[in-house]
Amino acid sequence: MGVTKIVEISVVTAEIPVGPQHPALHEPLLLKVYAEGEEVVKVEVNTGYNHRGIERLCERNTFYRDIFIVGRVCGICNAVHTNCYVRALEQLLDLHPNRRAQYLRVLAMELERVHSHMLINAVMAEIVGFETLFMQIMLDREKVMKAKEILTGSRVMADYVMVGGVRRDIDEEKRQRIRELLLKLGPRIEYYRKVFEEDETIVKRLVGVGRISYGEATSHSLVGPVARGSGVKIDSRVSDKYDAYGEIPFNLVTRSEGDSWARMMVRWDEALESIEMSIYILEHLPSDGDPVPDERRLPRRFPPGEAYTRVEAQRGELTYYVMSDGKGQNPYRVKIRTPSFNNIINSAFMYIGHSLADVPVILASLDPCISCMERVTVIDLEKNTRYRLDLKQLAGGKP
Amino acid sequence: MMGVVDKHSLLESFSVGRGVVKPSRKLYIVEPGNVRRVFEALIEKFGYGGFYLSTIVGTDLKDEGRIRLDYYIVLLPEEETVVLRTFIPRENPVIDSLVDILPGALSGECETHDLLGVVFRGNPFLKRGFFAPRDLVEKGEYPLRKDSGV
Repeated sequence: MGVTKIVEISVVTAEIPVGPQHPALHEPLLLKVYAEGEEVVKVEVNTGYNHRGIERLCERNTFYRDIFIVGRVCGICNAVHTNCYVRALEQLLDLHPNRRAQYLRVLAMELERVHSHMLINAVMAEIVGFETLFMQIMLDREKVMKAKEILTGSRVMADYVMVGGVRRDIDEEKRQRIRELLLKLGPRIEYYRKVFEEDETIVKRLVGVGRISYGEATSHSLVGPVARGSGVKIDSRVSDKYDAYGEIPFNLVTRSEGDSWARMMVRWDEALESIEMSIYILEHLPSDGDPVPDERRLPRRFPPGEAYTRVEAQRGELTYYVMSDGKGQNPYRVKIRTPSFNNIINSAFMYIGHSLADVPVILASLDPCISCMERVTVIDLEKNTRYRLDLKQLAGGKP
Repeated sequence: MMGVVDKHSLLESFSVGRGVVKPSRKLYIVEPGNVRRVFEALIEKFGYGGFYLSTIVGTDLKDEGRIRLDYYIVLLPEEETVVLRTFIPRENPVIDSLVDILPGALSGECETHDLLGVVFRGNPFLKRGFFAPRDLVEKGEYPLRKDSGV
């Protein structure tokens, strides 16, 4: 008897919410993952759980108060946020801080880059199952947090940058203590880099996962280590040469692999570069005057004008647009575009075709900073060419 | 490979005005109907690797009765930032979307729509109430408009 009828059973598309509260994510974000079996076929990024309206808040406060508001956009990158905003104000006022202040600003930002890169690599270790490695990295991260405390007075929230300079200077003793901490930290980062490079499990979990090409990175406006992991040579420190970056030697780190592993390795290499830069700064700190300006003498009125400054934050290009209408004490418009805003919202295409277990890995490889991004929201991704309507109807999913 | 001069002359061919945003970012003012054409020409001539769209800044110019849209483009590999500026009427803020030719425009367009009420014609992902709080959405207000009362 021959076969007369074939019944095909379609795989059901399941909708799996990852977040906003989820063990793999440390901040509120909802990834709506659609999966056929283990395979991800579509991802929607839903945000808005942490929106605080900071741009509007900036319009309602004075130029100087806003320095403290923008520092609170994100805790872990507060020095770059204030630096970017303050430099926009300095452009409006045509003010130039002295070289010592510029060097100290770079030092604060590079210390911040080291601890941020260590943090996300630790989180990645935890996500792939190495909790002890997470704790080890976090323990060594304390060294750089201490260094930042010696420099700025606070482990995290520095409020270090002010118009025309920085908030406090360092003396010889502090200089030595920071230098010693960094010299101890360098070999530890080299060791962790080696672990990420050679450990079989980490390599298996990261290599080839969430691969993006050069063209995909630029067309989706991805920035920072995510773009540099795909060979895109972008770094605001190199192109804009703001503050003292034009005088301090460093290498632009890129990799060609374009996968999650490449992004983590870019971060380790950048952390090593940052440590060398910090040591260079401490050894070549100029003495061309007091880096702390007299706050009472700062101009109170801002001339009309507009400034657009970029800074290479840990997660990529961070931009501030500040417009003054010259009429009052408050800015007319402040627009903040953080790196995570592009990297998280525009990257839903990266998950497609990977297994469910890879979703946290890919997300962590983007170094998501929800509090940065969440002055905004979004949605979808590609034009699901793999999508079949009958399956959706079977699954009872939304059209 | 074509140099940065070609990119500037392409932008200039569409522009109806020039300017500078501090610190020395070249600004090209274009007609709103031409914004999409500029990006089409950029993609056609230089490919997706020749630039990326960094930021879309929408500003409510209430006294002038219009909304200003700035597209900040980073030209690669020189990594030079240039500004494409256009003005659309405040009462009917509609402009062509870029999201189908340039997926990186998604985040900026969705944000500008929700905060400022600009309609990007052809963007199927525009949605209100993702980042603006629910009470504002119900009132139909856009928080970054100067008369929103937020």
